[in-house]
Amino acid sequence: MTVTVKDKTELFSPQICAEIDRWIAKYPAEWKQSAVMGALMIVQDENGGWLTTELMDRVADYLDMPPIAVYEVATFYSMYELKPVGKHKICVCTNVSCMTNKSDLIVEHLEKKLGISFGEVTEDGRFSMKEVECLGACGGAPMMQIGKQYYENLTPEIVDAILEGLE
Amino acid sequence: MTDKLVTIEVNGQELQAEAGIMLIEATDAAGINIPRFCYHKKLSVSANCRMCLVEVEKVPKPLPACATPVSDGMKVYTRSPKALAAQKGTMEFLLINHPLDCPICDQGGECELQDVAIGYGRDVSRYSEGKRVVADKNIGPLIATDMTRCIHCTRCVRFGEEIAGIREMGATGRGEHMVIGTYIEKSVDSELSGNIIDLCPVGALTSKPFRFNARAWELTQVEAIAPHDSLGSNLNLHLRDNKVMRVHPKDNESINETWISDRDRFSYEGLYSSDRLTSPMVKKGGEWKEVSWEMALEMAAASLKEIGDGDQIGTLLAPTSTLEELFLAQKLMRGLGCNNIDSRLRQGDFRMDATQNSVHWLGSSLSDMDQMQTVFVVGGNIRKEQPILAHRLRKAAVNGAKLHYLNPIQIDLNHRGDQDVCTPGEMAGRLAAVAKAAGVKASGGGASLLGAAKVDESAKQTAANLKAADGALVMLGAMAQAHPDYALLHTLAAALAEATGAQLSILPTSANSVGAQLAGAVPHLQAGGTAAERAGLDTLRMLKMPRKGYLLLGVEPGRDFWNGSLSMSALQSADMVVAISAFRSPELEACADIMLPMAIFTETSGTYVNAEGRWQQSRGVVRPQGESRPGWKILRVLGNLTDQPGFDYIDSQQIHDELHKLCESSTLDNKQAEPQNLEPLLSADVLLRGGDTPLYACDPLVRRATALQQTQDAGSDTIRLHPQEAARLGLDGSDTALVKQNGNQIDLPLQLDERIPQGCVWISTGLARTSTLGQPFGEVTVEKA
Amino acid sequence: MNVFKNYFKSLFLLELFRGLSVTGRYLFRKKFTIMYPEEKAPVSPRFRGLHALRRYPNGEERCIACKLCEATCPALAITIEAEPREDGSRRTTRYDIDLFKCIYCGYCQEACPVDAIVETRIYEYHFENRGENIMTKEKLLAVGDKCEAQLAADIEAQAKVR
Repeated sequence: MTVTVKDKTELFSPQICAEIDRWIAKYPAEWKQSAVMGALMIVQDENGGWLTTELMDRVADYLDMPPIAVYEVATFYSMYELKPVGKHKICVCTNVSCMTNKSDLIVEHLEKKLGISFGEVTEDGRFSMKEVECLGACGGAPMMQIGKQYYENLTPEIVDAILEGLE
Repeated sequence: MTDKLVTIEVNGQELQAEAGIMLIEATDAAGINIPRFCYHKKLSVSANCRMCLVEVEKVPKPLPACATPVSDGMKVYTRSPKALAAQKGTMEFLLINHPLDCPICDQGGECELQDVAIGYGRDVSRYSEGKRVVADKNIGPLIATDMTRCIHCTRCVRFGEEIAGIREMGATGRGEHMVIGTYIEKSVDSELSGNIIDLCPVGALTSKPFRFNARAWELTQVEAIAPHDSLGSNLNLHLRDNKVMRVHPKDNESINETWISDRDRFSYEGLYSSDRLTSPMVKKGGEWKEVSWEMALEMAAASLKEIGDGDQIGTLLAPTSTLEELFLAQKLMRGLGCNNIDSRLRQGDFRMDATQNSVHWLGSSLSDMDQMQTVFVVGGNIRKEQPILAHRLRKAAVNGAKLHYLNPIQIDLNHRGDQDVCTPGEMAGRLAAVAKAAGVKASGGGASLLGAAKVDESAKQTAANLKAADGALVMLGAMAQAHPDYALLHTLAAALAEATGAQLSILPTSANSVGAQLAGAVPHLQAGGTAAERAGLDTLRMLKMPRKGYLLLGVEPGRDFWNGSLSMSALQSADMVVAISAFRSPELEACADIMLPMAIFTETSGTYVNAEGRWQQSRGVVRPQGESRPGWKILRVLGNLTDQPGFDYIDSQQIHDELHKLCESSTLDNKQAEPQNLEPLLSADVLLRGGDTPLYACDPLVRRATALQQTQDAGSDTIRLHPQEAARLGLDGSDTALVKQNGNQIDLPLQLDERIPQGCVWISTGLARTSTLGQPFGEVTVEKA
Repeated sequence: MNVFKNYFKSLFLLELFRGLSVTGRYLFRKKFTIMYPEEKAPVSPRFRGLHALRRYPNGEERCIACKLCEATCPALAITIEAEPREDGSRRTTRYDIDLFKCIYCGYCQEACPVDAIVETRIYEYHFENRGENIMTKEKLLAVGDKCEAQLAADIEAQAKVR
């Protein structure tokens, strides 16, 4: 076992460090830990959409926080993934507005088409499904989010078309 | 906070309260009970349990009393229908997910949730759905978890953040999936971690060594004083069937507040170790034989008298002994013409004894500690020496104090502070630099070092902070006292303190370090803390110039000494070693000729003088085990048998009173009469060993506390060194290495650690194997095994 | 007048015949007497006799060492010591009932949250040696194993009123 005294610049690549530093700069110097959400997002995107404990530890070191405080944030918000996800993370809203507009049909269709259910990844690693609460697009219910894009007024046919269009 | 008083009315009763305090503080002070779970007087307000909801006039909704400041003319009702309904509703929600496993829960009978549920809850649950289940976590050998019982009050989380200073626990997940824990499987390593057992209002966190052993209603509570560190934390012992079942803190705002260290909490396990010495024993032809007390005492007295020349006897006393034992031991030995008496077993340098004629102490009262503005700690890892004192220093740091450390190893701080890390050989030089920066003239003690010192930026900063502060301390910790140039460090620190107007603080390392000086259990002071008429030999010289006979009191050869191997060889070469001890160990059996079983801690009455000079008495509350007897009784009989006058004590109180009278005019003072000119003994140019005494290796009782020995702080028999130093020594990639010191050699596992300065290898003392080497600071060679 | 009355009464032994008529009535009635020990008196399901510790059907002992029986015992007849068993569960290492102290009040049975300690219908037992008055955990479990069917039935019968 080696105990090492950490050098912060070695924690991440220079580009990621620069991106996190941009977040840090938005807050007062003594409130560096406010950048934790931004930092986690950056690190998650870099790691194929999910966070390992080791990555969270590094974020903690980078922001001088206790690791448990980072775990708290990462487990609280649903946008952080703690298990591997597919290349395209399909987030389907099943909250009230979408439910009354038959989001369960969309879910059923997706499950049949992809052969996975919520929380699972397809064998080729391309898709994963996630059940989410209201994403604030009730006007276009039922809806889903893939990557950073919202898709609204879904029907099984539209879903098929959307999935076709993805690489 | 202002001193302005406001008048509030609670349940029709008028109260005066300081403006700005929370309602619950005012009602607590007035003895009005408001139920609560998350509120704790020593922790920040989080107001998340909602149990303390009360009705306040003109406020439409019930308010949490823990987060509502008092204001003038406020009218509060804690038992109105509205308040009661709120409390009842909260209680019902808290119980939704709480399991009904009170019969197997260790908290049952002393559970806040049980009490409050009886007082404020419904009698029958309306909830019939399934309850939440949370997996238990293994968070180390001290704390057992049953997280299903957790009600998310977050007291343990706040304790870690605010008191222990290392946040190890947290609340992960949210809503019904919120879980208190460490997220990843890891142990909670704080030296104060046991306090979360007391804080937990339910049975989620309980004591592991105590697990399922007894029920709260079976236990009798008695008071005691902790016998390990120099604070003398106040304890409540919980007894059943003449056995200590567990230890809790007793509130004492001026010493330990409401906390105690894990060492004080769990060391009781050592009392019931299998190697307690339970009957007097005599070595005959290399075989140990049990004998009667009469025979053993007569043999001991005869053999002490037989040596004749008192100067040929060495007296080594454990600094954790009670004041009465120390006083009687030195009275007995001085009566026999022996002035070679010492209790500073881990001190590395005694050169200043010649000019010291006062009792060294902390230099400040404990309650003033948190008001300090600058503290400069030289050679001390306070957190791992005296955890509760470290908590006070941390409070000072949180309040904005500047803390500077000068150590031969980078230590883990739980607060903001500057660390200057250098090899043991450079320590005196670095301290001299700070002194020089503060304007100490190169004369008297340490003149050559002061002359040669290079003042750098950090030295200047430290000196400036010391000067600027209104209330500053220069503190010499245990590592400084174990340093072979301690006299030099002491002289320089004294000069620095004088130049900056700071107090000099010599951290007493053991429960009775101050008491030992007052009792005359040091070679240069006699009872009452005044200069001895004839100074005797100190620990080091007693061992370097082996005596014909030794009297040991509560001391374990090898592990209790600064230089373990030297202590073994000196004691083994003696004709006669009389050991009064509570425990037997292979080392003791190898050295001693007569072993007299002694009662310790809980089993004997006695006084401890803590670091600030406070005398605290504790009673003997359980029967001594086997045939062991209180130390003062053994020493009294030895006094009688050696025909000395003044040994007719009836109880320990008489001894206490006699010494107290002698100490009436004694003062505690860290100043030296006239500093001599000293030269450093430790060379800076060779490979040096550095070594601390791990937190749980400090005395025989703690070393036998099994749960504590499984923690990280128990230390390990390893060589720690900097990766680059390892490369330089050609130890790349090897797992073990051979260490040689003073002609002794052992092979130890290697551990790379960047916190160790280069030019130094770190080998702790007081451990099973490392104590066969030499002193903690000195020349050493390390080579491939 | 009275003198005559008494004279006739004693002369014709009227009281004797009246008394004998009672005897005669009972002579032909169904008998109350039972031939103990060959015959046994009926026992209530609530009878409080010798103690027993019960087990679950899978053989696991019921007692969880909560010590409520020890706490409630007015005669201080119960002594319990406990520690974690190897599998981490809470179990007794010692469960002694001193039958000399016990007053058979049944509070232990009332207090038990898991129906582990019960009083059986056994009322015929004696001690021949010093120390046999202490019912150890092994003895109590053995009694429980022997009487389990009856105990389960008795507890079932009383479930509604407890």
